[in-house]
Amino acid sequence: MSEAGPRLTPDEEQRLLRCYADLKQLAAHCQVPSVRAAARAALAQVHAALNGQGLAYELYSADWPEEDKL
Amino acid sequence: MDSAVVVRQPPERGYWNPVTETMPREELRGLQWHKLRTSLAHARRGSPFWRARIPDGIASLDDYIARMPILTREEIVSAEATKPPYGDFPSCDPRLAIRHHQTSGTSGRPPVRTFDTARDWAWAADMWCTGLYGMGVRPYDRAAVAFGYGLFIGFWGLHYALEKIGVATIPTGSFDSEGRVRLLLEQGITVLACTPTYALRLALTARQMGIDLARESEVRIVVCSGEPRPEATKQAIADAFGAFVGDTAGMTEAATIFMFECIEEPGGCHIIESDFIEEVLDPDTLRPVPYGETGVRVMTSLGREGIQAFRYWTNDLVVKRPWSECECGRTWDWYESGIRGRQDDMRKVRGVFFIPVMVEDVVRAFPEVDEFQSSLRTIEELDTLVVRIEPRPDVPSEQYGELAERVGAQIKRQISLTPIVEVATPGGLPRFEMKARRFQDERSRPATHA
Repeated sequence: MSEAGPRLTPDEEQRLLRCYADLKQLAAHCQVPSVRAAARAALAQVHAALNGQGLAYELYSADWPEEDKL
Repeated sequence: MDSAVVVRQPPERGYWNPVTETMPREELRGLQWHKLRTSLAHARRGSPFWRARIPDGIASLDDYIARMPILTREEIVSAEATKPPYGDFPSCDPRLAIRHHQTSGTSGRPPVRTFDTARDWAWAADMWCTGLYGMGVRPYDRAAVAFGYGLFIGFWGLHYALEKIGVATIPTGSFDSEGRVRLLLEQGITVLACTPTYALRLALTARQMGIDLARESEVRIVVCSGEPRPEATKQAIADAFGAFVGDTAGMTEAATIFMFECIEEPGGCHIIESDFIEEVLDPDTLRPVPYGETGVRVMTSLGREGIQAFRYWTNDLVVKRPWSECECGRTWDWYESGIRGRQDDMRKVRGVFFIPVMVEDVVRAFPEVDEFQSSLRTIEELDTLVVRIEPRPDVPSEQYGELAERVGAQIKRQISLTPIVEVATPGGLPRFEMKARRFQDERSRPATHA
């Protein structure tokens, strides 16, 4: 097998997980449309990054407040 | 036109997600099981269709494979028909969708309709990133996407993935072939994405314009998707562009690609096993076939929250090989020669199993042939393979007979069928950009399907 390639450092891993938690809060509860939309777009990207690292796997959009779906 | 040979950067090795691409197999199975368990729970919670279908108490990957029913295309269409467009099939509210796609429906059947949430689409693009990065695509590249940008999902995910990697991406949806050839040169395009059929079409157009793309363009990677692509076709594209040709395949039902060809070119495509569980089953017994044997791929997608697919019968014919046979370092198994054809395209002709793409694998090895068509006909009450070839314009007509003989002999050697080979005049056969239709079954009695 060849070289395994770069890995996240423990510090990077923690930062990424914190980003995800913060974005999730903003995506669900922020009342400013532009900020909430940005948080949701960014959350999707950070989730993809966490998934790629095998760190987090969630199916989360259904949990968002009902009023967003009207 | 300056005919100086352009020096290209060869594709370099790399992993988009080193951890999951090189994960030991036991850990990989653990990751698959974790995602599967989470996905099944989500499906039961959100989808009436899946709630009625998923057996209780699935306890492991093996248990899932043993007890979960196989899903067919017709079942998805029926579920969606209960309340169009998606019926009781989705696992989350369709109002969370940010995009909609559907299958082309070119065969006259109702389409499969799908949607993606923001989360799903980010995942779908990331799967494409995995493939593109593995083919050597890097932020400094400039890419042209030769695709129609419509309802068909096609290269949409690739476009978003290129942007995510940081590649300057040019959508060429409205261009004709001559315009695209000019764009390749004027924009210094290094990555071209299109169907294999269209890559050959562009190469032909360039030749007709007096341009040698292998010498004059900077294209270093051609990303092919959308059709089976036999080795002879890959070689013909590689020669025409002087570039690495990477194969991928995806499907609307998955939202994205599930396999890609790495730069080590093991002779096939790695399965993205961190996000897909791929079984290969005997179409008659529905039992798994071992490595190296042909079967039908059955896909479980671990990526989507809206339109989920558990044990989906794809009809794709594949041969799985173990990860350890590729030097790239990924621990993901691979499909030898990618998708070899469709199970519903398989015919039995005079006792020989025949898939139309077999003809392409022979004909594309003849650089004198620009285009071809094949058909099965009943001639003197016998099933007969008829192949029409269209020689390149620079082949003298007095050589047509000898060319037809050589093509016929090679088909006999590779496929074990003796064909009738007819020669069409240059420009006489239809050209395709997507989903090429080069085969017709014109037999006078019902086809004998395998």
